[in-house]
Amino acid sequence: MGLPLFSASEDPGPSFFHFAERTGLTTNALDHSMSSPHATTVIALRYDHGVVMVGDRQATGNYIASRDVRKIEPADRFTALAISGTAARGMEFIRMAQLSFEHYEKMTDSALSLEGKANYLSPIIQRNNLTTPLIVLPLLAGWDLQSATGRIFEYDGAGGCYERFDFATIGSGSPFAESTLRLGFSTDLDLEAALDLGALSIYEAGDNDPSTGGPDFVRNIYPMMVTISVNGFQELTADDVARRFAAINERRTQSGGVAGGSLR
Amino acid sequence: MSNYFYVSPEQLIRDRAEFAQKGIARGRSIVAAIYDVGIVMVAENPSASLYKISEIYDRIAFAGVGRYNEFDRLREAGIRWADGTGFTYSRGDVDARALANFYAQHLGDMFTEGQKPLEVEVLVAQLGNQSRETKLYRVAYEGTISDESRFAVLGGDAETIKGRFAAAEDHLEPLSLTLKNAVGALAGPDRTIDVSDLEVGILEDRGNRRTFLRLNDEQVSEYLR
Repeated sequence: MGLPLFSASEDPGPSFFHFAERTGLTTNALDHSMSSPHATTVIALRYDHGVVMVGDRQATGNYIASRDVRKIEPADRFTALAISGTAARGMEFIRMAQLSFEHYEKMTDSALSLEGKANYLSPIIQRNNLTTPLIVLPLLAGWDLQSATGRIFEYDGAGGCYERFDFATIGSGSPFAESTLRLGFSTDLDLEAALDLGALSIYEAGDNDPSTGGPDFVRNIYPMMVTISVNGFQELTADDVARRFAAINERRTQSGGVAGGSLR
Repeated sequence: MSNYFYVSPEQLIRDRAEFAQKGIARGRSIVAAIYDVGIVMVAENPSASLYKISEIYDRIAFAGVGRYNEFDRLREAGIRWADGTGFTYSRGDVDARALANFYAQHLGDMFTEGQKPLEVEVLVAQLGNQSRETKLYRVAYEGTISDESRFAVLGGDAETIKGRFAAAEDHLEPLSLTLKNAVGALAGPDRTIDVSDLEVGILEDRGNRRTFLRLNDEQVSEYLR
């Protein structure tokens, strides 16, 4: 690549996506026959001082393609991005988003607002989903430095961006995760309660949806759990996550697999 | 009716060089120096928002003197080049030497073929790691590229400032001392520069991928104490 100089009228500005389009760094496949691995269930829910996100680790094609995919990534220090849909497109999408936010910051010497980031992703999703069958649906959550709150943004297939004030789910297991969250959510959850509810919702998704990976006690692979708060993006340690899922599993074993009741 | 006068290539180059030098000499200078664990860049800059020193990539910084609009365009091109290269290949493949070469080519082209030469001098600084060395590449208005071993000075008064800095520091020192020496070299013996007129950026490993840090006035005062 040569030195990318533009005249003032042609300049793509601080948007990396538009620069990449202009210079042909990105391509857009139009293959309608391909079946590629899908990434599955991720949830985000608000608690009193931020957002909790939990995501399973499995990528599924005609068979299990991978058991240890990371579907939640920090987009920058105060923002997390999760993906569902076509894994390949999702990974590229995360890379594009991470780079775009950093690119904007370097070009302008100021960080994009959380809402700015959420809106920025809309046309990228729209372009991908309306031109290829390789759908990708992300979930954006972050700590809004201006309003000092945790905020969640979800997208529809056409790139529409909607803020959620309670919780959001994406992926094939989302009906089961969503039901669990609906029954357990309240507006005054503290961090511990939010983590437990988030873990339970992914457990239920893994239990019911064949494409969602639950806790894998054999291989010691557990869903990813992160918090986004005034301290930024923080991932729970593997031991901490293992302990939470072992506790749910223990209760479920005692109840003989029954999800409801006092052992829930 | 028009008259064409013969101008020898030597004369043309001299005129262009003089033009560029004059433009560059109008602005204030920049000192960039390697310290024991990083690189510090110091500019005399009364503006708190029109920066001369910027982040290009994880371990690469940019500094420019001369006409702001001209070097800022080079800065933007540098960020785009670095982010584009890192996106295409990998973050580790983004190398300051390649970027300095592109700047040199562009400045050289503009010097010989442009409507007017660019009135800028730029610096590309790279913080080393296991696979790359710490480097300071200085690119002059006509495209001359030089690889400076310990420190570099950009701007009109470069030779004097160079002499002052070299006299003050002959081996790698900690940041506070290198910063003091750099500010002293910029100011000279007869004046002091107010902290609010200093722009300071460093490249240093702090456990993050991105190593660039802009020091604010309080941090600069603290180091200069």
